[in-house]
Amino acid sequence: MLEFIAVSKQFPDGQVALDDINLKIEGSDFVFITGPSGAGKSTLLRLITKELVPSSGQVLFNEDDIAKIPENKLHILRRRIGTVFQDFKLLLSRTVFENVALSLEVLKRSDSEIEKEVSEALEKVGILEKADYFPAQLSGGEVQRTAIARAIVSKPEVLLADEPTGDLDPKTAEQVVELLEKINKEGTTVLMATHNSAIVNKFKKRVVHLKKGKIEKDQKEGKYEPD
Amino acid sequence: MNQIKKTVKLLRRSPYQALAAALAMSLTFFVSSIFIILIIGGQIVLNYIEQRPEVIVFFKDEANQTEIDDLTEKVRSTGLTKEIKFVSKEEALAIYRERNKDDPLLLESVTADFLPRSIDISVNRAADIKQITDLAQASEHVDKVITPENLVEQLVKWTKTIRLGGLVFVSTLLSVSFLIIIMVIGMRIAIRREEVSIMSLVGATKWYIARPFFIEGALYGILGASISVFLIYVLLLFYSPQIQNFLGDIRVFPINPLFFLYLWAAEALAAALVGIIGAAIALYRYLKIR
Repeated sequence: MLEFIAVSKQFPDGQVALDDINLKIEGSDFVFITGPSGAGKSTLLRLITKELVPSSGQVLFNEDDIAKIPENKLHILRRRIGTVFQDFKLLLSRTVFENVALSLEVLKRSDSEIEKEVSEALEKVGILEKADYFPAQLSGGEVQRTAIARAIVSKPEVLLADEPTGDLDPKTAEQVVELLEKINKEGTTVLMATHNSAIVNKFKKRVVHLKKGKIEKDQKEGKYEPD
Repeated sequence: MNQIKKTVKLLRRSPYQALAAALAMSLTFFVSSIFIILIIGGQIVLNYIEQRPEVIVFFKDEANQTEIDDLTEKVRSTGLTKEIKFVSKEEALAIYRERNKDDPLLLESVTADFLPRSIDISVNRAADIKQITDLAQASEHVDKVITPENLVEQLVKWTKTIRLGGLVFVSTLLSVSFLIIIMVIGMRIAIRREEVSIMSLVGATKWYIARPFFIEGALYGILGASISVFLIYVLLLFYSPQIQNFLGDIRVFPINPLFFLYLWAAEALAAALVGIIGAAIALYRYLKIR
């Protein structure tokens, strides 16, 4: 489903974020991308959504080279990929419902479809009763669940989660990853960037460990021990 | 319709910018309306004068009645006239008094002796005016001949000046409106930068993201044009007696309400176009979607 072939990414200031990455991710995989800050985890995810393009190499999504997707077709790719951002990226002036509905509005779904599908997504992440709340009225875990609901409401093939447990207490962090695991079991490929070793070690999933832009380890039921 | 509702909701969140943009548009189109009305009015006056082929021949004071009658007869014998009316000094005074009845100062100083005798000649066809004028001017008893050509020439000159002045004035205001629209939409884009970036990441097309800004630009235009036409309507309604008095026999009131509908439609279309082009420039300049 996703394949990185000799991918390198160097920023204009000379910093090398990724260096010769070769990685294959099959459909329905759950992969932790681990590593310290600056290892290249976020860069790797941003190459998948074409927020960035590789300096060399290819990132393939269902055998299509993402870098070659023209600007006017980019939305088609992004509709197939759900993203949970490190800083949530929720609109503070919109309610939980409206934030989640945004993903369907851009797909031009009808009001009744939006009502039904948003309610289902909110129920799945366990915050249906908070639908009319604004993000400022929610706890950290609830904000993250809202972001997950927005990412999955359009039923994407791949879910990218960039440090989704970063600001959460251990118990809430665990609940959020349980939720991602549930989504994965329903058929969505999940890539989660994290440096939370407790979470990685508890869930026993495939671990791709990055260090200074290179893949240091790629283990099936891996563990993560911070340096 | 849903999209328009959303745009209106966004406008209500920052009403002062919206008001500034709409007022700039309304000022531009209000001034445009004034020039349009002046040009149309000028054309109506021109048509009126051209459709009434009349020649007025003023006689010198020393001309006696027989000499006046002789010329009158000579003109009539050409067979080109419809009607010839002699206006004596007393009748000229009566006309003068009627026209200046609201200005006692002008009435006090004028007596019948000051005013010349004349004949008003209605000509069958405008093309025959020249022949009649030449005939009258050949007489040594004639002081002055007034023909519609003189007035038409004068009016055409005025209309041209109004057109040119209007073009310069409206172009300047149009440029100001453009800049204000670009600035206001640019600010909107800046305010909604995060929303735009999120929409792009969840798969919105560029058109989906840009559309509300285009609608906003068009709404400013339509609102501005509507305010402008409403003001023009009220002003014309309020000042119609004075304007009609000034124009005398040339009937322009009541103005057909369809005229205002057409004016509104044309201005709303033009203003919406200005708004849309302004929004397009702002989007090109400020909307960076990644």
